[in-house]
Amino acid sequence: MNDMPETPLLRVRDLIIEFATENGVVRAADKISFYVHENETIRLVGESGCGKTVTGLSILGLIPSPPGRIAGGSMKFMGRELVGLKDREMREIRGRDISMIFQEPMTALNPVFTIGNQMADVLMRHRGLTQRQARTAAIEMLAKVSIPVPGKRIDEYPHQLSGGMRQRVMIAMALSCDPKLLVADEPTTALDVTTQAQVLEQISKLQAEFRMSVVLITHDLGVVAETCRRAIVMYCGRIVENAAIDDLFTSPRHPYTKGLLDSIPRIRRHRLAELPIIPGRVPDLLHLPCGCRFAERCSRADALCAEQAPALVPAEKTSNLFACHHPVPEMPVERLS
Amino acid sequence: MSAVTIQGMRRESLWSKAFYKFRRDRTGMVSLAFVVLYMLIALGVTLGWWASNWSDVTGGKWEAASAVHWFGTNLIGQDIFARAIYSTKTAFEVGLVVAIIATGVGAVLGAISGFFSGTWIDEILLWVMGVLDSIPFYLFVGAIVFAMQDNPYAMHVAMISTFWTSVSRLVRGEVIKLRGLEYVEAAHAIGVPEYTIIFRHILPNTMHILLVQATIAFVAAIKTEVILSFLGLGVKDGMSWGLMIAESTQEVLAGFFNNFLAASVLLFGLVMAFNMFADALQDALDPRKVS
Amino acid sequence: MNAQNHATLLDVRNLEKYFPVRGGIFQRVIAQVRAVDDVSFSIEKGRTLGLVGESGCGKSTLGRAVLRLHEPTGGRILVDGWDITGLRRNQLDEYRRRMQIIFQDPFASLSPRRTVAQIVREPLDVHRIGTPNERERRIIDLLADVGMGAEVRDRYPHEFSGGQRQRIGIARALALDPDFIVADEPVSALDVSVQSQVLNLIAGLKKKRGIAFLFISHDLAVIQHVSDEIGVMYLGRIVEQASVEDLYTEPKHPYTQALMSAIPVPDPAGKRSRIVLEGDVPSPMNPPGGCPFHTRCPQAEEICRRTAPLGVNIGSTENPHYVSCHLHA
Repeated sequence: MNDMPETPLLRVRDLIIEFATENGVVRAADKISFYVHENETIRLVGESGCGKTVTGLSILGLIPSPPGRIAGGSMKFMGRELVGLKDREMREIRGRDISMIFQEPMTALNPVFTIGNQMADVLMRHRGLTQRQARTAAIEMLAKVSIPVPGKRIDEYPHQLSGGMRQRVMIAMALSCDPKLLVADEPTTALDVTTQAQVLEQISKLQAEFRMSVVLITHDLGVVAETCRRAIVMYCGRIVENAAIDDLFTSPRHPYTKGLLDSIPRIRRHRLAELPIIPGRVPDLLHLPCGCRFAERCSRADALCAEQAPALVPAEKTSNLFACHHPVPEMPVERLS
Repeated sequence: MSAVTIQGMRRESLWSKAFYKFRRDRTGMVSLAFVVLYMLIALGVTLGWWASNWSDVTGGKWEAASAVHWFGTNLIGQDIFARAIYSTKTAFEVGLVVAIIATGVGAVLGAISGFFSGTWIDEILLWVMGVLDSIPFYLFVGAIVFAMQDNPYAMHVAMISTFWTSVSRLVRGEVIKLRGLEYVEAAHAIGVPEYTIIFRHILPNTMHILLVQATIAFVAAIKTEVILSFLGLGVKDGMSWGLMIAESTQEVLAGFFNNFLAASVLLFGLVMAFNMFADALQDALDPRKVS
Repeated sequence: MNAQNHATLLDVRNLEKYFPVRGGIFQRVIAQVRAVDDVSFSIEKGRTLGLVGESGCGKSTLGRAVLRLHEPTGGRILVDGWDITGLRRNQLDEYRRRMQIIFQDPFASLSPRRTVAQIVREPLDVHRIGTPNERERRIIDLLADVGMGAEVRDRYPHEFSGGQRQRIGIARALALDPDFIVADEPVSALDVSVQSQVLNLIAGLKKKRGIAFLFISHDLAVIQHVSDEIGVMYLGRIVEQASVEDLYTEPKHPYTQALMSAIPVPDPAGKRSRIVLEGDVPSPMNPPGGCPFHTRCPQAEEICRRTAPLGVNIGSTENPHYVSCHLHA
């Protein structure tokens, strides 16, 4: 599925992102590499501190520049190198070719402007529309994201809308210029379960309709299962596994992925006496162990793991790429396609 | 159940973190050095080590700067330098007394007001603050000084009774915010009595505001003293930069600037240094700023 | 609702918590936010009632009202048969010792300028339990019970991760040896891999010490693991209440069914037809007439708009299953 011959829409290679803190330099992303093809949805999955948000922000050049910076690597979007672009050039790309939606819709929308104002702003800036044209286009977009009575809603303020609706407005704003790539940073985390379902369906629908690619950043593996094709699991700034979604769930190779999948609370037929856990906790990014960063929590680790950081290697029968010296055995399942 | 290990975590209280941050701020350190210098001068005066001769007539009228009189002498023949140095003590004394008491009163009343906001306690305190703020300051000071006649602390009382309101408002706002936090609810759930909650849980978390407000009050007090002394409402016994400046109004007309310059330069130095120190302090205490 | 005669620790009857909304120049009361609206349930010693619902349904308010952190505006709370609803502060203290709370936000639930030892010891100090030496030893025991070593006692909350802070909060709640703990979304703010750790901890403590829990969460999967009975809340009311087995195998109320189907399942093969609810949750300031859920219910009928359904037990006396729905009236 990911061995398409054409050039990928976004190609990230060996990306390194560092932050200067008062206790030293922290590498939030350490040699991250992945591709996103056209009309494809991939997910960056991981827990807090794994570097997924930072990676997403860096695609749009939104890393706050002191204290953070891109310290190495390359990101080619449609053949054009993004790393090192001047702010002015980046601003042309943002909103028009690459768009982003954020986790907290209340803080991402400006509370003192109406929705119509904010959307028209984006449209006029990037598509050069007049105010009236922009308003019409904005109402169309609101209808596309299933907001009822868009002609009335467009003049409302963010606080007058519910969380789910605000998120949909943000999606509408992000898509109003027909971008090729959408980066969605935890778009449903702040929403209720029933609203999450609505918003995710919306994103899927629009992805198909606009033929765009989506990088969905989330910590919720359940969300991942429902809506994506390929998932990339990150831990402590590194990619530990990259696989098609079916393979990830049926045959996870990296012990962290397996541990994560096992430990997610889920509705089970019979209650367990104890939930499976991953012992220990995520190491401090300032005091990272050498070698594999997951080794100290891993039941399969040995001396080699502590010394040498494993590289990403492909699995034999499935689509997984994983970085582990002693991976979980492969379990390719007969797939009913 | 898994045991949790702390892997080599460095012990850091919030104060030591702020301290390390402050140490790296060069402007902050330099201004702190100046402030300390002034403080030592004031200390020396209090202990009688120097400038005790500030009121003695040791020279002729309006002598120029010389080896004996570093800034020359004033109209009567007193050494200007000694007087300027002595005034440092006055400045610090006024500054510290007003800053500490005004901040203290403001903190306590602000915390009570904020914690009980929405009730009559808060309404009354807000009303008092409003009334005090609406009285024109110098009128108020004049009234207090007049009422307290020759009491040397009239000026201090006047300043304290007006400065506390701004501290109080800030603390009130912060307390209203903190009051809704869960650790306060936890204290309620445990059964901690209300006043203990205010003073043990909430007020210590306003320290960063209080510290900065205290430094602002210190500077404001010194500057206010200068104006009050100039108006004749300030220092009665003793010497201050304000009095020196007041004296020098006549002298400047006659072309003798030393008195004026001495007082102004020293005053400016202290105020400037303290302001920069306060800025650096605020930066160091701000948890969001990374240097 | 549960009419158990023995070993009932907590009995809540027709509890109401309304918040007045003021408006106009004179700040008159113009509306009421009905955060908790006629809620009744009971919890036996050592059992856990899970309370599930989405944001705004009133579950957090209910948890706090039961402890009288919010003063109820109606109804009664009985502990071991004693009515504590109207007790004054000093009389309430004795009950405060037996009823504690764990919070959702590990970052806001610990006082930032106090050390771990001070935080965990405070309940003991306030109620003057034991000598200072005994209190010191007790802190070490409590920290060990939550899986933390004695060396953490002089550290400050900001030096710990979310999961560790949550453990400290649990240690604090255990200090007074309570019979009953309200756990308000204790794992929602934690990373997934840490959630299970803390859930195991809570389940273990529950078994070891026989503590009854009111476990509040929006996550049906989390709740399944720790609860014996479950109540589903919507707009301030409990719309369904049953044992954990019954609720998950046979949810009766349309809202419960929608909730169950909306949970993202970490298993791509396990996709099922999802019930997507129309519209948004109405504001608790203006709850719809009749059944509060009728505006979004895929099976709403005329009667649902007019009259509010009563809670009916469609199970047995030993294993009750209450539903408030006209479909099961």
